[in-house]
Amino acid sequence: MLQGALAGLAAGGLYAVIAVCLTLMARLVRVVNFSQVAIGMFAAYLAVIFAEQHLPQWAATAAGVCVGAVVSGLIGWIIAQWLPEAGIGARSAVSVASLLLLVSLSFILFGSKPKTFKSLLPGPAFSVGNVVVTQVTVVMVALALVVAVGCHVLLTKSKIGTKLRALSERPTTAELLGVPAKGLSIAVWVGTGLISAAAVSIVAPTQTNDPISLSFIIVPASAAALLGGFRRLDLAVVGGLALGMLQGALAQFEQMSVLRYWVPFLIIVVFLLWTQRKEVWDVAR
Amino acid sequence: MISKLTKIGAIAVAGALLMTACGEDTNSTKASAAGASGGDIVVGSVNALSGGATFPEASAASKAVFDAFNASGGINGKKINYVITDDKGDPSTASQSARDVVESKKAVAMVGSASLLDCDVNAKYYQQNKILSLQGTGVDPACFSSPAVSPVNVGPFLDTEMTLTYGSEKLGLTDICGFLEIAGSTGPAYKAAIDNWSKKTGKSLKFLDDSVPLGSPDFTPQVIKAKNSGCKAVFINAIEPDAIGLLKAAEAQGLTDVTWLFLTSTYTSEFAKAAGSAGKGVYVPAEFAPFTDPKEAANKDWRALMEKNNIPLTSFAQGGYLAATYFIEVLKGIKGDITRQSVTDALLAMKPIDNPMVGTPYVFGPGDKHGSNTAAWPVQLKDGAWVKASDTWMLQN
Repeated sequence: MLQGALAGLAAGGLYAVIAVCLTLMARLVRVVNFSQVAIGMFAAYLAVIFAEQHLPQWAATAAGVCVGAVVSGLIGWIIAQWLPEAGIGARSAVSVASLLLLVSLSFILFGSKPKTFKSLLPGPAFSVGNVVVTQVTVVMVALALVVAVGCHVLLTKSKIGTKLRALSERPTTAELLGVPAKGLSIAVWVGTGLISAAAVSIVAPTQTNDPISLSFIIVPASAAALLGGFRRLDLAVVGGLALGMLQGALAQFEQMSVLRYWVPFLIIVVFLLWTQRKEVWDVAR
Repeated sequence: MISKLTKIGAIAVAGALLMTACGEDTNSTKASAAGASGGDIVVGSVNALSGGATFPEASAASKAVFDAFNASGGINGKKINYVITDDKGDPSTASQSARDVVESKKAVAMVGSASLLDCDVNAKYYQQNKILSLQGTGVDPACFSSPAVSPVNVGPFLDTEMTLTYGSEKLGLTDICGFLEIAGSTGPAYKAAIDNWSKKTGKSLKFLDDSVPLGSPDFTPQVIKAKNSGCKAVFINAIEPDAIGLLKAAEAQGLTDVTWLFLTSTYTSEFAKAAGSAGKGVYVPAEFAPFTDPKEAANKDWRALMEKNNIPLTSFAQGGYLAATYFIEVLKGIKGDITRQSVTDALLAMKPIDNPMVGTPYVFGPGDKHGSNTAAWPVQLKDGAWVKASDTWMLQN
């Protein structure tokens, strides 16, 4: 059971990083970014292409991550430019379109045959019983914690954080007070794009890495973000790690192994029921 | 606050459902490739040309064979008009494609199709319209259980039996564990193949986990399960990306002293390269003469034609080439007009055709189900490249 949970830590670390990015996006720029992992996937594939051009692996990865951040910024610019006053539904729909576009573009640009991903962080960090905890796992968990704590400090202790919070709570008022809404929104997109591109580029060489498998990690990551209500970074991290470990533990039991793929959906449904628990039917409608 | 959270939650669910619903569409965003090489005898095919799992080489190879045949004069002054359609991995598109080829274009036969769902969706339709399909790559169970379809390849189910038989009988492996990725209605066919192996060899799997989803991003839990169960060999029916995911997870967990029994679906040069050092110990029963051996004489004509037409050298290309080659052979034996009826009659009455690219002769015939290719050539991964693991065919009775 414990070994299974540890086996799921690698996936949980990635869920946590992405959940933190999703929470930041929902809080600060009012978007549930379904293309969050697809941006990272695109960056990871670009890194492979750059590496094939005889660039050192670290340079290829850095270049891929930078392009991923630019792609993310571009999507953010489109939303900031044309949908500044739109609701979260319309803005999130753009990210669904971006997800589909990036997956399709990946097949067109990179083909459907496997690519040779080279790991930046090969090898184990330490072992617990039969389970090897890899360097990638350790880095992912650390990255999730660092990003969550860093963002919390940035939002609560810095001037730019105050502006971001103002923008998130009262966008029109903030803009009237001179807060550069468009620039800050794009900066959030670039920042989260950079983090998710880095995370996916680190993880992709160690797991199934076709465009669809990678991009659809957004489903469990969204479930993790939901545990924090798309508001709380600490619960997003806990949710990601717990979800990965729960899936890993369930995989060890024959009768329950199918259940692990329903866990993210169960979490989403339970969350919705919980938030609706005090609603009266007519009012809720 | 609650209503805002609810809204976000609802969007998350809607998005997840939309993405699930759009899964197939996501896979089929490339333009539908339909082509015809001009001529009098219409031959069709339904293929996965766009989407996550694409097999464009089979129909491309069939077209190369038909183009060469037309260039050499065709048959009785008539040329073959080969119509290639894309099912986009979508059942309704597959159905429309088949109806277009059969009813609008008046095809006499289906040749070289390579699709994940053509047989499941269209086999009964082909049977009703008395048109037969020489499938280039049969994947779904209906390809091997229909009177109207006769694939030239072994298929994933017999391949399963063969890879297990090779592992237990030739390599002498014990403690073989099994993982299955079940797509659509393939579950019973895979389990029947494993049962056949058990009945014939008297051996059984240490465990069979059939809950592995297609496209699972992380195989670490499965690797830990195999490690804890003491598996000395692992069988899985994974396609390329998933098999690489499994190998990478095993490498990370230090599970390097096991033998991997995979299917032909992983037998590609790209897989060998991408698997790298993690691919040590992978065995696959190749359904046709191993194309990764450039000196393999059986593939000489095929290789020359593929290289001339810039078609990637893959098992799919071998299947498409063989389907078209067999079809031309049958066509040459028809006396009188070449119509759907005369082609169907000829295929039902044909004598087995030998070809050095396969271990058993091809035949259509009048049976309720077809599967004439029952031989494979074992290959293994060594130092990032495929090499022959045997010097002859392995026959499965």
